[in-house]
Amino acid sequence: MDDLIKLDTEQRGDLVIAHVSGELDVSGASGLGDQIFDSVPTSVHALIVDFSGLEFIDSSGIAMLFGLARKVAARRQEMRVVAKSGEPVARVLDLVDFDRAAAIHDDLDSAIADIASA
Amino acid sequence: MVKDLQLVVLAGCAGLLAAYVYWRAERLALWELHVAVALGTVVLTFANDFMGPAALYPVLYTWIVLYAFYFFETRWALAHVAFIGLSYGLLLGFEHHPSPVTRWLLAVGTPTVVGLLISRLLARLRAEGAQAEQRAYELRQSEARTRLVLDSAPDAFITLDADGLIVTWNAAAERLFGWTTAEAVGRPMRALILPAESRDRHDQRRRELMESEGLVSGRMFEVEFQRRDGSTFAGEATVSKVEIGGELFLPGFIHDISERQRRQEEREALLREQAARAEAERVAEMVSGMQLLVDAALAHRTLDDIVSDLVTRVRAVLGADAASIYLANDGYLTLGATSGGSRPDSLHPLPFGVGFPGRVAESREPLVAHDPTPEELADPALAKLNLDSVIGVPLITEGDVTGVLVVCATEPRRFGSEDVGLLRLAADRVALGLDHARVYEREHRIAETLQRSLLPDHLPELPGLAVAARYLPAAAEAEVGGDWYDVIPIPGGNVGLVMGDVAGKGLAAASMVGQLRSALRAYALEGHQPAQVVDQLNRLFWTELGESQMATLIYVVLDPADGSVRWVNAGHLPPLMLANEQSPRFLEGGRSVPLGVMPFPSFEELSFRLDPGASLVLYTDGLVERPGANIDDGLAQLPRILGDGPVSPSELCDKLLGELVPEGGAPDDVAVLALRNVPMADRFSAEFPPQPEALSSMRSLLRRWLRHADGTDQEIAEITTACGEAATNAIEHAGAGGGAAFEVLGRLHGREVDITVRDYGAWRAPREDDQGRGLSLMQALMDSVEVTPTHEGTSVRLRRTLNGSGGA
Repeated sequence: MDDLIKLDTEQRGDLVIAHVSGELDVSGASGLGDQIFDSVPTSVHALIVDFSGLEFIDSSGIAMLFGLARKVAARRQEMRVVAKSGEPVARVLDLVDFDRAAAIHDDLDSAIADIASA
Repeated sequence: MVKDLQLVVLAGCAGLLAAYVYWRAERLALWELHVAVALGTVVLTFANDFMGPAALYPVLYTWIVLYAFYFFETRWALAHVAFIGLSYGLLLGFEHHPSPVTRWLLAVGTPTVVGLLISRLLARLRAEGAQAEQRAYELRQSEARTRLVLDSAPDAFITLDADGLIVTWNAAAERLFGWTTAEAVGRPMRALILPAESRDRHDQRRRELMESEGLVSGRMFEVEFQRRDGSTFAGEATVSKVEIGGELFLPGFIHDISERQRRQEEREALLREQAARAEAERVAEMVSGMQLLVDAALAHRTLDDIVSDLVTRVRAVLGADAASIYLANDGYLTLGATSGGSRPDSLHPLPFGVGFPGRVAESREPLVAHDPTPEELADPALAKLNLDSVIGVPLITEGDVTGVLVVCATEPRRFGSEDVGLLRLAADRVALGLDHARVYEREHRIAETLQRSLLPDHLPELPGLAVAARYLPAAAEAEVGGDWYDVIPIPGGNVGLVMGDVAGKGLAAASMVGQLRSALRAYALEGHQPAQVVDQLNRLFWTELGESQMATLIYVVLDPADGSVRWVNAGHLPPLMLANEQSPRFLEGGRSVPLGVMPFPSFEELSFRLDPGASLVLYTDGLVERPGANIDDGLAQLPRILGDGPVSPSELCDKLLGELVPEGGAPDDVAVLALRNVPMADRFSAEFPPQPEALSSMRSLLRRWLRHADGTDQEIAEITTACGEAATNAIEHAGAGGGAAFEVLGRLHGREVDITVRDYGAWRAPREDDQGRGLSLMQALMDSVEVTPTHEGTSVRLRRTLNGSGGA
């Protein structure tokens, strides 16, 4: 995996949280998608992709994220994305209307709370 | 009758007295004699008185007078005569003898005359005796002197008479021969002091001398003599022939020359020894000359150097006027080096069999030529030398003729078989040296090639940075060293700079550089911090590469976006920073131990900022270290040289090398790496390889430029994202097209940012999902997006007017 991008995954109860940091472009996107998806057991309820530490995302990152959302949905699992509004990543997600695929939250806590209430 | 008796008694008394005086005269004092004589006078006077006037008796006074004249001086004798005259006169007066005067004259006068005559006679006899005695004394003195002279003479002096018998024999002769004078004199010389074998020769010489006309003086012979003890010695005889009193004698001095001969022999032996020693020394010198040849042959140097060194030494060993080494190559000889002679202006390779060296190479045997003609030599290199004697010996390694060694001499030297033998010995060593040098050169080339292959053959294009490097191998004869440098674009836009020096030389050092370089690249690309990278390198070094190895290293990571630098110095010389408007300064501090000296050292990571316009210079010690000079003096030169010098990295490098590396190369390898943080201008252009990894570098450059253009953080992020989309497309096009680099051009028109991303690949229509999303992203983020596909590639022009100020 390219060192531009860094991934830490953790499981909290029936949640898997994937913390992604660095810069996400075509050089790391497809690999990252598979890695995140593989870290999500079928048993869990939901996946939160945490982009708080991500500094850059481009269309290949978006494509990866759409693909990930599709696969997670196909397993009837929930997915949320954390990206602070106003930051470049949130701006790009907004531009491509990513919230069609998964809800975007400002912070991790609100994302967890959202899933818990769903 | 009575009267007769009285007379007899008186005469008897007188006779006894006379007899007494006669016998005792020698032991009586003079006065006693006088008394005795006077007493005689008195007795005879009384006798005359008794005997009466007989005229005959006074004659008895004659006895007294004769005694007086015999014993006393004439005047004292006359005094006694006077006493006699007085006594007899008185007697005549008292007794009234007839004719007293006649009687007195008869009695006194007659003995007086007789006495005077006897006295005269005695005086004459005495005088004659004294004279004779004087003469005899003088003779004795003279003889003693001669004897003394002869005896004190250091040489034996012998005189022979006409019959060859010894008549003179001095003390030196006694000492020399052991015979005393008494024993020698009167014996024939031939039997006494000549060994049997010399005797006939002696007789012949003696005869010649005796029969020769006239006298001879100082004729010299060398003769073998014999001592009394039978031992013989060599003597030098100086013989004369003299005549003394009608007799011929042969006097001669004999000088023992055995000592002289012994000295002569000693001297000769000494000379022989000296000659032997000189020969031994010559041989020793030759052997050491040979040793020098071997040393030269085994020195780690290039073929050219070794050949010219060997040729000089061969010339010295042979003491020749000139020497040349020809090197063989595919049946041709070329002149490798020459010593002593003038090198000809142009030299064509000489085929085997042609010319003197060519014939040596063909025959594979030593050749000697005397007074060769230029035609015979057929080689301008030799023909020019005006030679009298030439030897050529083939250089053979493993059965192949690798060259020919030729030495030349001019008059009066003529080479002999000994010289040929010596040259063959020299040739063995030269051949060894050539072989060694060839092997060494091959190894050197391999090491150099390896070294070169390990250094980047071209430095990466680093947007916003200018970088240049120089590597100079050490002067020809030295081995390739372990200097290396590297420039590593790190994903994310950072740039790693490496300058290192592995201890040691040659192949081993070069391969060590290879391992270090790939390891460092791997660690750097993993994105580790500089201290971590160096720490991992050290661990690798310590555990894998052998504890005996050591290396110094500087690893610098620069973030071009803001010029921040983090770096680690593992025992290397400090980098030099050239900041704007400041004099150059060394980045001291943070100097940790070199790699490979401790298992777990801590490498201190330092940071500083390389402002736009500032430069960083890294180098190895070969640049500043010179034999015999303090390295601090060398270091001190760097700021001076670069003080107000050029700014571009390649000019910086060239100036340093130009000023610090002597003509012909430095004693050690020199590596210099300079990097400049080029200040951003309103325009920029950069090329990137068509690989996803280039995207981060491009974004990094773009952010810098946009910051220069006073964009806000959001504007910067958005424009960067849009350009990233264009660049991603360009990489995709190139992947289909053939791998050409893509270009990014930036222009700033007032507040309008105008960026063109151009590729030379095959254009592909955007697919519905991904690429389509890319295009729509660009359109959403920029004011205007123009995509122009041509047959050469695709050009995407992105424009956007900046609003706010980024505060930069």
